[in-house]
Formats: sequence, structure tokens, C-alpha cells
Amino acid sequence: MRGILEHLHTSDSLLTVTDMEAGLEHLKRGTLEHADALLIVVEPYFKSLEAAGRIAELARGLGVPALYAVANKVRSERDETAIRDYCAAHDLPVLAVVPFDADVSDAEQQGQAVLDSAPEAAAIGRIRELADRLLATGTPAPTAQAAD
Amino acid sequence: MKVAVAGKGGSGKTTIAGTLARVLARGEHQVLAIDADPNPNLAVNLGIDPETAARIEPVPHSFIHHSKDAEGRYSVGMDLSPEEIVARYGAPAPDGVTLLLVGRVESHQAGAG
Repeated sequence: MRGILEHLHTSDSLLTVTDMEAGLEHLKRGTLEHADALLIVVEPYFKSLEAAGRIAELARGLGVPALYAVANKVRSERDETAIRDYCAAHDLPVLAVVPFDADVSDAEQQGQAVLDSAPEAAAIGRIRELADRLLATGTPAPTAQAAD
Repeated sequence: MKVAVAGKGGSGKTTIAGTLARVLARGEHQVLAIDADPNPNLAVNLGIDPETAARIEPVPHSFIHHSKDAEGRYSVGMDLSPEEIVARYGAPAPDGVTLLLVGRVESHQAGAG
């Protein structure tokens, strides 16, 4: 994988969304260079928060210009607070809070995309907001003019 | 824009990545979804049926040349441009998203997972 992501990231014409390998052992040179933003998906429990903190640290070391947390499977205000507190302490803006949503697990069980099986699911609404916020972060769009 | 999605296994990162790719594509963006997980399941989260997903050919690594210079810096040579790779190996997904599988096999990582 190392190398090819780097190569694909050199294209100015593509908006890419890359699903990285789970965990953090793979986050090393050649995997995140040229990424404009890294979304770190985090659940409201200690091990997940800790992993997010480590991922953020590694990504900073690799020079990724923008790091954001996406809180996922949030069931309560307490869950959300736990994630917000941890992320604030680790200088990690929370770009979206996606609720726990049975529609998501149902879709998974059925081998479907939740966007098709439950387009009105609460989680979908939050991911739409995530997309809007991501585009609005001002992360530089491909500098086509400058490249020409 | 190049967005990467990371997280612990089971965090829901693939669901978020797949849904995000399609939502962005509905907003008139030309979106390339890249599955860099050696255990790929982004296809289904993009809405490709499991049977079709199983037949998607991953980007082979045979045309990638890895080399290290005298100072141990890593460099990569490619026979194909990113656009050529997408044209050749990209699989169509709903909402106009194109999917690339790149996470399988890598000689220097063999046996790691």
C-alpha cells in the first residue's frame, strides 16, 4: 500500500476518500503524505479515545495538515462530553458527532449500505453535515491554476 | 481534496468513509473512494452488492518500483499515472463514485497481518 496512496494523492483532479487500514501500526511514511485532512473516527470509550490520540500524534509527525475527530456511536450526552473533553485536551477538533444508530448495524448485517437501506437514518444526516463542514474547512482545493 | 479516514477496528470508519464518499459525490464532486484496508469492505458500504464486490480486481503492485537512496530515503516509481490507474482498475459505485482497492498484498508487508 505504501507508495500507491502517495502516488494517487499527487492527482489534482480527484477528490479522494481513503479508508485506511484499521488501527495505527500502518501509519508511517508513504501512507498519509499529501493527504489534506485525516478524519479519526472515535467511539466513546477509553481504548478508542486513546487510539485516536495516538493516531493524531502519528499523523502530526507525518505532517498531515488537518486532523479532525469524528465521534461515532454516541448514545448519550455523557458519551459526547467524554469525546469532546478528550479531543479538546488533545487539540483535536470534533468535526461531527454521529449517533449510535441501529439502522447502521442492520445494514451491516444485511450486507447493504445504510445510505440505501435507511436513507433517512439519523447517522446519515450527521455524515452529510460532516461532508459540508469538511468542504468548508478551507482545506485547499486542488490548486489547478497554480499548477498550470 | 484528499481525505483519509482512520480509526480503531470496529469504530465504524468504513461506514463513515463510504457514506461520506457518496454524499460528496451527490454534491457534484468527482469522488474516488480508495480502500486501503487489507481486509477490504468499503465496497459494500458504498452500495456495491457483495457478489460484485468480490469480483473487483485490486490495483496490482507489480508496476510500482520501490527504491531507497543512499540516505535511506524511500522513493516510488510508477508506470501509470493516477488517472490511468483509476481508468484501468476503478470500479463503478452508486452516485458516480469510483472505487479502487489498493490494500491487499505488499511484498515488504507480507506476513504482517
